[in-house]
Amino acid sequence: MAGRQMRIDEYRIDEEPYYLATGSELAIAEAAYLDGSPLLLKGPTGCGKTRFMQYLAWRLQRPLVTVSCHDDLSTSDLVGRYLIRAGEAVWTDGPLTMAVRAGAICYLDEIVEARKDTTVVIHPLADDRRQLPIEKRGELLTAPPEFMLAVSYNPGYQSVLKDLKASTRQRFIALSFDYPEPEKEIEIVCQEGRLGLEIAKPLVKLAGMTRGLKDSGLAEGASTRLLIQTGKLIGRGIPVRTACRAAISEALTDDRELLAALDEMISSLF
Amino acid sequence: MELEILKEKFYQLVAPSLPNEWDVEEALSHLATAETEHLDEIFAQIPAIWPVSHSLCFAYLSAAGPALCCLALDEMSLWVHTLLDRYETGGLRGAQVFMEDVDQQFARHLRGQGGLRLVDVRSRLQPYVNGLAGRELPLIAADTVATDSESIFLPSEIGLFSGHEENFLLYKLMVSFQWASLQTGVFAAPPSFRLHKKSAHPLDCFFSEFDQPANARSLYHLFETSRVLNFLRHELPGLMREAAALLPQLPLSGDDSSAPNLLDWLQRGLLRDDWSGSLQSPLMDRAIALLQQAREEALDNAASLEAVRELMPLMAVEDNLAQTDPLVFQGTLRLQEMRNLGMKQQADKELRLIKTMTAQLPPATPTAAAEEANAGEAGGQQGQDTALLIDMESAWEQLPPFFQSQSLRLDNSDALLDSMQREHERPGQSRVVEHSVTAAEGKAGQTFVRSSHASPEEGQGMIEPVVYDEWDYRRKGFRKNWCVVTEKELPPVQNTFIEQTLKQYRGQIRRLRHQFELLQTSERFVRRQREGNDIDFDAMVESLADHYAGRPPSDRLFIRLARDQRDIAVTFLVDMSNSTAGWVGQAIKEALVLICEAMEVLNDRYAIYGFSGMRRLRCEVFPVKRMEERYNRTVRQRISAIGPREYTRMAPAIRHMTSLFAQVEAKIRLLIVLSDGKPEDYDDYKGDYAIEDTRHALLEAKAKGVHPFCITIDRQAHEYMAHMYGEVNYIFIDKVKQLPARMSEIYRTLTS
Repeated sequence: MAGRQMRIDEYRIDEEPYYLATGSELAIAEAAYLDGSPLLLKGPTGCGKTRFMQYLAWRLQRPLVTVSCHDDLSTSDLVGRYLIRAGEAVWTDGPLTMAVRAGAICYLDEIVEARKDTTVVIHPLADDRRQLPIEKRGELLTAPPEFMLAVSYNPGYQSVLKDLKASTRQRFIALSFDYPEPEKEIEIVCQEGRLGLEIAKPLVKLAGMTRGLKDSGLAEGASTRLLIQTGKLIGRGIPVRTACRAAISEALTDDRELLAALDEMISSLF
Repeated sequence: MELEILKEKFYQLVAPSLPNEWDVEEALSHLATAETEHLDEIFAQIPAIWPVSHSLCFAYLSAAGPALCCLALDEMSLWVHTLLDRYETGGLRGAQVFMEDVDQQFARHLRGQGGLRLVDVRSRLQPYVNGLAGRELPLIAADTVATDSESIFLPSEIGLFSGHEENFLLYKLMVSFQWASLQTGVFAAPPSFRLHKKSAHPLDCFFSEFDQPANARSLYHLFETSRVLNFLRHELPGLMREAAALLPQLPLSGDDSSAPNLLDWLQRGLLRDDWSGSLQSPLMDRAIALLQQAREEALDNAASLEAVRELMPLMAVEDNLAQTDPLVFQGTLRLQEMRNLGMKQQADKELRLIKTMTAQLPPATPTAAAEEANAGEAGGQQGQDTALLIDMESAWEQLPPFFQSQSLRLDNSDALLDSMQREHERPGQSRVVEHSVTAAEGKAGQTFVRSSHASPEEGQGMIEPVVYDEWDYRRKGFRKNWCVVTEKELPPVQNTFIEQTLKQYRGQIRRLRHQFELLQTSERFVRRQREGNDIDFDAMVESLADHYAGRPPSDRLFIRLARDQRDIAVTFLVDMSNSTAGWVGQAIKEALVLICEAMEVLNDRYAIYGFSGMRRLRCEVFPVKRMEERYNRTVRQRISAIGPREYTRMAPAIRHMTSLFAQVEAKIRLLIVLSDGKPEDYDDYKGDYAIEDTRHALLEAKAKGVHPFCITIDRQAHEYMAHMYGEVNYIFIDKVKQLPARMSEIYRTLTS
């Protein structure tokens, strides 16, 4: 037990993460936490969902256990399994069980990527029962009030195959995230990318342009995260245009024509 | 060479056609003196041109001799290739223009001496401007640079500079400038200005208040250009930095003029920052002062309008600024077109609104309808019912947009001005919202209308017709936008066919279902894994035994549940040509019923489409079952409705299926084509041409990740099949009765 306790401490966030609220998301999330309701965050990639969770965990002073979901994620990966140690079968908690026991925040990132039969395991945790059955041990864990469940997904590249079941969706308080307003985004890029206004402004403008290219074949425009990465490159002395090309255009597409068009935008702005 | 020999050679090449001897003689007379090797090359192209157009072929024969003066022999086929492209886009006239000046139209580009063409830069600039504007702003070739708020017009070629980079930069500047003009409100209505003509652009009304409206217009545009350039310097500093070297090099019409006018001087000052040498006059001094003042940031066009108001009275009557050409990137103001477009959009919007409102009206409530009719002010009497209103609405739809907007509008020139100001004030980003709102509104309106008082007619086109290229093997290139594919509703037929089939094949269906069940997603335990859900006790015991025996124990101690997921989407494309009449058609339908029954136990997504048609402009595709549709009674009735129709132009249907597949996400995408023989159409689409086109369409499908497989029902196997479908991608069935059983078998083999 002591070993487990030590492990959960590694998930604590000690320093305040930078987060600039864009609406009432913090108030809603804190109210949901007090009510024991789970959270569903949706929004495009790199718009700040994960950062928001980090910030929330810091505010609430709870450890944050993040699980990145993938299509091979099984129930045992979440709940736990028996492992063989020194010739003995030893039960090991999965991240979800660990979070429930410790009253932490469990954040399942990109939940739609997980198979539907796996996501069903969170159902009793996500309603008023707040319980996690561990069948293999015959144990029924009841979550302490400090425990919180949060999941996220990106509706942008949602296909018919990857949709949340209604029975899953309807257990959550949903917060919709989008790229921040230009002024706020500039502020974020300045702060996080350690940039001056003169570079941050056109960077945000560039991101706005790429986000308008949906009909021209770009599935998603440049995210705030990409802008911050670009800013960091620039801070390391990489010339602006080169940094934009490496961190934005090449990251967004492989299509030659779109790349050329993005290059034109970059050379126009900088 | 003797004319007779040429004629004979020509007739051999175009056989079995027998063109008029006169035409042939006249066309060939130009070639009588040509050298033999030239003649061979010229004649070698005839088979590619003759089937496309006979007139074009004769025109080609007349022009080919002179063309060879500027072309090398091996460039001839490329020239013909381009010629055919030109013919398809510009018709015979376009082709003739192309042939008239071989050097200018073709040879210079070939040797890299020509200017930069819009077609070559569009792929780069179109997404660029879409990104700038946040909406689609199509780039269209035209004589002069301009914008009408929905498109940007650009010259089809720029050859002002020797290097492509400079020419490209000029293109980019033109595009950015036109976008910036929209963004900065160059076309916005003057504030607090009363319109005296509703159909005219408010700026035109403003200019017409002066004695010389053309002068006012030119002056205004120049002042606005200065403002737009400032905006660009601020918004796109990179572009303007690069353009700074380019701007002074741009030609000005004042350069050649012996007596430059006010506009010439101002243009020179603006582009070259050269204010010296201008005539000393109060007008000139004031104009320069105003222009330099305008360099400071201005948010709207008020300052430019004010400058025009101030300068116009100072100008002499004989001053004619219209002589001066606008700057190359500045282009012309297309105010009237913009106004027409605005009015049309406004009218469309109002029409949609009315449609939505009428559709929402409760049926047959006379008072409400009458009120609505009065409100619409389109005329109407008390007591009319909704039906009449709808009649009126459809009659109104026939009116040109201009009359629509006029008849609807009350005497509200102020309101009109307001709406126009709104329209022009916030172009760019804000328009996107407006666009999507109108689009959504339109959709809502249409569905409402349809659900309340209209049902889609049978056989009507269901989607917008789609245009596809066609492969012409003779010229080894595509005929651009050649075939028009329309999706048409197949009216469901109620008969006993389905029941009979189900009865007849009862045993077989049961067996098929069982076989298909075995294909379903299977779950199985994989033993001896490094990671897994549970402990593999056998492995564990062995490992412990090994450990105690002093041998290295295995770490593969777990059982994992592995799932073999089928992620398959399949489309059955059924030949509905005339030749399938009778047993073949019957067997195909039975096969479809069987496969559908069997597919129901699988989770594979599948679609069924029929195809037929006549000529390239009427290729028809009949959805029997769409990918997301369930196999229900309507689908069964549509299968019953499959019947012989017209011809077998297979390639456009295959291309259409491939493009539909692009929207489907699946690991395996399978296209199964059921046909009864060679592709063929009423026009020249037959023989090698049809086979090569079909083959190419199948190759395109494969390149896009669709696996095509063809089932051919014929009396005997033909050699062309292996070539057309690919050696392993087809199966040939000669006993029609076997088809239903074989098809399910084939499907099973293909997907497991």
